[in-house]
Amino acid sequence: MVARIQKRSIRDFDWVLALLAIGLVAFGTTQIRHAMPTESYWAKQLIGLGIGVVAMLAISFTDYRKLLNIAPAFYIFGLLLLVLVLIPSIGLKINGQRAWIRLPGGIGQFQPSEFVKVTTAMMLAHYFGRHRATALTLKETAIGVLILALPCALILLEPDVGSVITYLPILGVVLFLSAVRIRLVIISIVLSVILLPFAYWVGVETNLVKGYQQERINVILDPERADRRGFGYNTWQSILTVGEGGLFGSQSANEFSQSSLKFLPEPHTDFIFAVTGGNTGFIGGIIVLLAYGILLSRLIGAARRAPDRPGMLVIMAIVGGLTFQIFINIGMALGILPVIGVPLPLMSAGLASLIATFIAIGFAISVQLRRFVN
Amino acid sequence: MKFEDTSQNLRVRLRAVQALGLILLLLLGIRLYKVQVVDGTRYAGIAQNQRRRRLPIAAPRGIIFDRNGHPLVDSRPIYNVILSREDLRGRELATLVPPLAEGLQVDQDLLKERFEQVTSQPAFESILVKQDANPGDIAWVEARKLELPELRVEQQPQRRYPPNGLLSHVLGYVGEISPEQLKQQSYQSKGLKPGDIIGQSGLEHTYDDYLRGKDGYREVVVDSRGRIQDEIETVEPQPGQDLISTIDLDLQLVAEEQLATSATKRGVIIVMDPNNGEVLALASYPTFDLNLFSQRIATKEGRAEYAALLNNPETPLMNRAVQSRYMPGSTWKIPMAVAGLQQGAITIDRSNIACGGGITIGNKFTRCMGHHGSPDLKAAITHSCDGYFYRLGLKMGIDGIVAMVEEFDLNKRTGIDIPNEVISWTPSREFKRRMQPRDPEWRDIDTVYASFGQVYDVITPISLLRAVAGIGMGGNLYIPHLLKELKPIGQEGSEGYRVSRTFQPLDPSRPNPKVVPIPGDIHREVVEGMWGVVNNGGTGRGVKMVGFEIAGKTGTAQVVGLGKDIGKNKDHSWFISYAPAYKPEISIVALIENSGFGGRHAAPAVRKVYDVYYRKTRNEEPPGAVPLARTPKPETNKKPVEGQVAVN
Repeated sequence: MVARIQKRSIRDFDWVLALLAIGLVAFGTTQIRHAMPTESYWAKQLIGLGIGVVAMLAISFTDYRKLLNIAPAFYIFGLLLLVLVLIPSIGLKINGQRAWIRLPGGIGQFQPSEFVKVTTAMMLAHYFGRHRATALTLKETAIGVLILALPCALILLEPDVGSVITYLPILGVVLFLSAVRIRLVIISIVLSVILLPFAYWVGVETNLVKGYQQERINVILDPERADRRGFGYNTWQSILTVGEGGLFGSQSANEFSQSSLKFLPEPHTDFIFAVTGGNTGFIGGIIVLLAYGILLSRLIGAARRAPDRPGMLVIMAIVGGLTFQIFINIGMALGILPVIGVPLPLMSAGLASLIATFIAIGFAISVQLRRFVN
Repeated sequence: MKFEDTSQNLRVRLRAVQALGLILLLLLGIRLYKVQVVDGTRYAGIAQNQRRRRLPIAAPRGIIFDRNGHPLVDSRPIYNVILSREDLRGRELATLVPPLAEGLQVDQDLLKERFEQVTSQPAFESILVKQDANPGDIAWVEARKLELPELRVEQQPQRRYPPNGLLSHVLGYVGEISPEQLKQQSYQSKGLKPGDIIGQSGLEHTYDDYLRGKDGYREVVVDSRGRIQDEIETVEPQPGQDLISTIDLDLQLVAEEQLATSATKRGVIIVMDPNNGEVLALASYPTFDLNLFSQRIATKEGRAEYAALLNNPETPLMNRAVQSRYMPGSTWKIPMAVAGLQQGAITIDRSNIACGGGITIGNKFTRCMGHHGSPDLKAAITHSCDGYFYRLGLKMGIDGIVAMVEEFDLNKRTGIDIPNEVISWTPSREFKRRMQPRDPEWRDIDTVYASFGQVYDVITPISLLRAVAGIGMGGNLYIPHLLKELKPIGQEGSEGYRVSRTFQPLDPSRPNPKVVPIPGDIHREVVEGMWGVVNNGGTGRGVKMVGFEIAGKTGTAQVVGLGKDIGKNKDHSWFISYAPAYKPEISIVALIENSGFGGRHAAPAVRKVYDVYYRKTRNEEPPGAVPLARTPKPETNKKPVEGQVAVN
């Protein structure tokens, strides 16, 4: 039995998906090294890659159904982590956000909100995975919102608005695929188109949207004329970094680049795509986008072939989160979205995000491996 | 999908999610194309620009020496503490005022004022916090590199002028190019830009193109905080040419001392070599400190000091040698005497004219200060007989006087190589029409006035000196000038070679010298008269030097009508001279404003200058003269009887 599974596993294992992910991390590591040559970020990233691959393999060869069955336990564990991080003696405060848990022994720190994305996706898949014949009820929707709202509320206390935003599409995709009435989808799209500006206005009026947040949005509306030394600085420098890359990448890249001269802030995390665009030009940037496109398509393909609803939902929840995060991060680097501190999956330096993404991919492979086992 | 129920359209919905994801990626791809391929070149330029910076290296300005190699003006490096606004990044300037004011001992209000001014300037302009910082200040800045990274110390050459206002009117000062100057074609064509330091007056202005070097620069790579990471290239500055002026520092010092100790401390002394026009000394008093303009003008105190100079009724900023006009009084008689003989109004054999104690024209009597009988020309010069010259003027007529003015260039600029020289006012029918529109006709009485250095004769000291020194030279009128040589830089043919240069008339069409045909006998006649002024009991006999024969002429120019010439309205005291009388080496003019008789004030001052000259050239003490305390009786001098129009 074991031997049979092993043999089939190796045959059915989604090598393309795994290698694509590993390739993106490897490529990302070269860019991190370029952005921060003197620091040890790139070495850490390689360690993260090792851990991530191990985690991916472990999840792949575990029956995802067993994991999803105990999803509530993972979910509660995730919430506990989010509570822990808020305790000053445990949580590490960086740039005003208490979003990191210090690891003992000086290994470093990790960001629980990245892991909790996975446990939340599992919880949603667990809850909405039951066989269904009818359209989604209001009660079900409300419970879905609650599942999402708990971790989001805790993350807002850090406060890390950027992370919370990346949680929203997880629920959105799950609801969309759980037979929410199509007219509700259309109504909500229309309403949000109308209400978003209104809500923004209310937010501005009531000071709920803070001054710096407003400025960041204004920058996007007209980055060329924005205050290039103040709030528009990050966006403007990122556009310049990308633009300098041209078609084939910047010639001056190796001596004095936007990142080595510290014009571009956070080049190894938030703006890793700007660094990549600068170094490898339009060709490199397009290859990265294509790689993400193929990766997401492989994941969706796996979901389509999933043997059951929870398996499909957990992959798609992850796809929703990843797609949105990729769009936000690269959109920010290209100056079409406001600056939100969101890492680029697989490429930004950061262990938690990296390992969490590999765990998510592990789920997808596990689902795929069990499509014939029933 | 075994779990799929058809009512849900799950397959479609999955496709929809996939399509949405790919559309988002496509949007990013399009945006990427726009940023990198469409606008890439432009952004690359901006990105490279912000990391490259050109740090100017100021070229040292040429040093100005006196004729014997004593440095008069040089540049020394000073250190300025500046605040780089690039690195400020939104930090409020106002919050920096108290720590900076205390740490660097700068006036708080001054800093505030400066910070307010710069808010309208482009951000890359840095702000001067403290000029000429001392080592303590620099250490203070260095120690605060972390808290105040936007503070920097910059080196800058600063012009250092002599103390006590020495030579201020000759040297002139440098200053930042003004916005008005920047708009002028003549400055634009030299490639000058805001902030450049250029000569604004005096020699600094005239020879600015030679004294000013060519600034170099360092092109460097900086990081986002403006810290230098690498140097791309360095273009060394090319220093300016050193200038040897014609000034003799010893003569200049004694000339200034004479003015500083004079009765009114206002006046001019010019010393010139009549053989070539080299100005050995040019002193104008009161004077001012040139360092005000090169060092303090940007400060509050400096601006107040400048305003005070501008408003000072004694006009210290004015170069009296070339910018002020005075009535020459009896010194006017020298060119009159030459022209009278040239024009045949008198002859050497028959030059006697009655003094008559004055002259009556119509019902106006204009008197002579003495009774000289019927002197010949030499005696009339020696004793300064006005009556003689009234009648000589009438014989020459206004046209003769105008011809004299033309001949000696008295109605032209001399062409001296310092800026802002004014043109003298000289008698002519046209001048009277302008001056007295109600009585525009030229009359004999006007000719009388015009013939003895009053009313219609209002001239610059430099133009009078040029004319009289030229007469001493037998008719060779050189252009007075202060440039001896601009030193060459480098070897011929090498890069950056700058050729040596000596004085050239600024107007190339002017002959130098201008040759006035004065026959030898006429020349001798006039010189003998001038010799007599000092050596034969004339009005300047008090400054006689045995063995060093001075030819001169005193003058006392009336400022107001007779009888009111007291206090600050006293007459201007003149003495014009050259020596030795028959082989001129040096010519000197002195004018002491509102001090009184020429023989008493101006002549002794000139004598002190001759003493220094004598010591320098003869290596012995000057021959004893009549002790200066026993100055001669006031010279006989003209005084129109009715206090007619008080010109001046």
